[in-house]
Amino acid sequence: MFLRVIGRPLMAKVKQTTGIVGLDVVPNARQVLINLYTKTLKEIQAVPEDEGYRKAVESFTTHRLKVCQEEEDWEMIEKKMGCGQVEELIEEAQDELKLIEKMIEWDPWGVPDDYECEVIENDAPVPKHVPLHRPGPVPEEFYKTLEAVQSKNGAPAVTSV
Amino acid sequence: MDNQSIFKYSWETLPKKWVKKMERSEHGNRSDTNSDYLFQLLCFLKLHTYTRVQVSIDICGVDHPSRKRRFEVVYNLLSTRYNSRIRVQTSADEVTRISPVVSLFPSAGRWEREVWDMFGVSSINHPDLRRISTDYGFEGHPLRKDLPLSGYVEVRYDDPEKRVVSEPIEMTQEFRYFDFASPWEQRSDR
Repeated sequence: MFLRVIGRPLMAKVKQTTGIVGLDVVPNARQVLINLYTKTLKEIQAVPEDEGYRKAVESFTTHRLKVCQEEEDWEMIEKKMGCGQVEELIEEAQDELKLIEKMIEWDPWGVPDDYECEVIENDAPVPKHVPLHRPGPVPEEFYKTLEAVQSKNGAPAVTSV
Repeated sequence: MDNQSIFKYSWETLPKKWVKKMERSEHGNRSDTNSDYLFQLLCFLKLHTYTRVQVSIDICGVDHPSRKRRFEVVYNLLSTRYNSRIRVQTSADEVTRISPVVSLFPSAGRWEREVWDMFGVSSINHPDLRRISTDYGFEGHPLRKDLPLSGYVEVRYDDPEKRVVSEPIEMTQEFRYFDFASPWEQRSDR
């Protein structure tokens, strides 16, 4: 009984379940996330500087790393990032690491000289009876990443790592 | 993610070598690639944080007999995280072999078998490439434009032999010739 009295305030913020099948709760999520993001920032240095991919990854990884370092609680991290649960963030970060490793292996950078790409902007109207795709809410860091990628001046400087 | 921003984002972040043609429209964003880079492009789309397409809805083929690389394999993908769909297309001819995407999208196993069966576009190192929709001894690939609509064999139940036999068809149909120009006006039909 006394254990519960003492232990309850310490256990107040423990997550019971993620609500997603197959995704377990990670108790030290913040630490895992910080590790993954620092590792990502280190790995992405192998990609050439001008590539949009590198700019995008650096932009959102630094943003997420900053949020993780500022907030102590997993709940505050989730609310601030607006990207779903911490376990999902961990999964995304792990996938991104795998992807960087594969990209470095495949090495598709650089534009060949005779490159031509046809970009079609098809604005043909959709008939009224067809339901249009209604997009869901997107975290605002996506727009910041989009701006960072489209800017010609290069990625913001990486301060940590 | 609305169409404009996902189009711009994917245009900037995808390595230029992979993309041959991109289209943004309300009917569905489409991106066209070379068959060498197909697996890599799909892997990117699956794993990258801002384009988490983890579900492959459909893989189908299209036969354009007038082109040199006559088949076009279309991958319809869905991202449940961001509620967006994207279509990836590759071109192939009869002897090109596409890399299987089963390791990325397990549901693609059946679709690839279907593409093999209906069109004859096979995959390298596919774990399980068998026929899926045609009859057991069927020769030919049905959805190619040069196979006639009623096929080459017909089956009937033979009472003396007490089993189903296939015989060459009695009602023949000529080679299907498609003239896309309409007789009334010269419209280019896509």
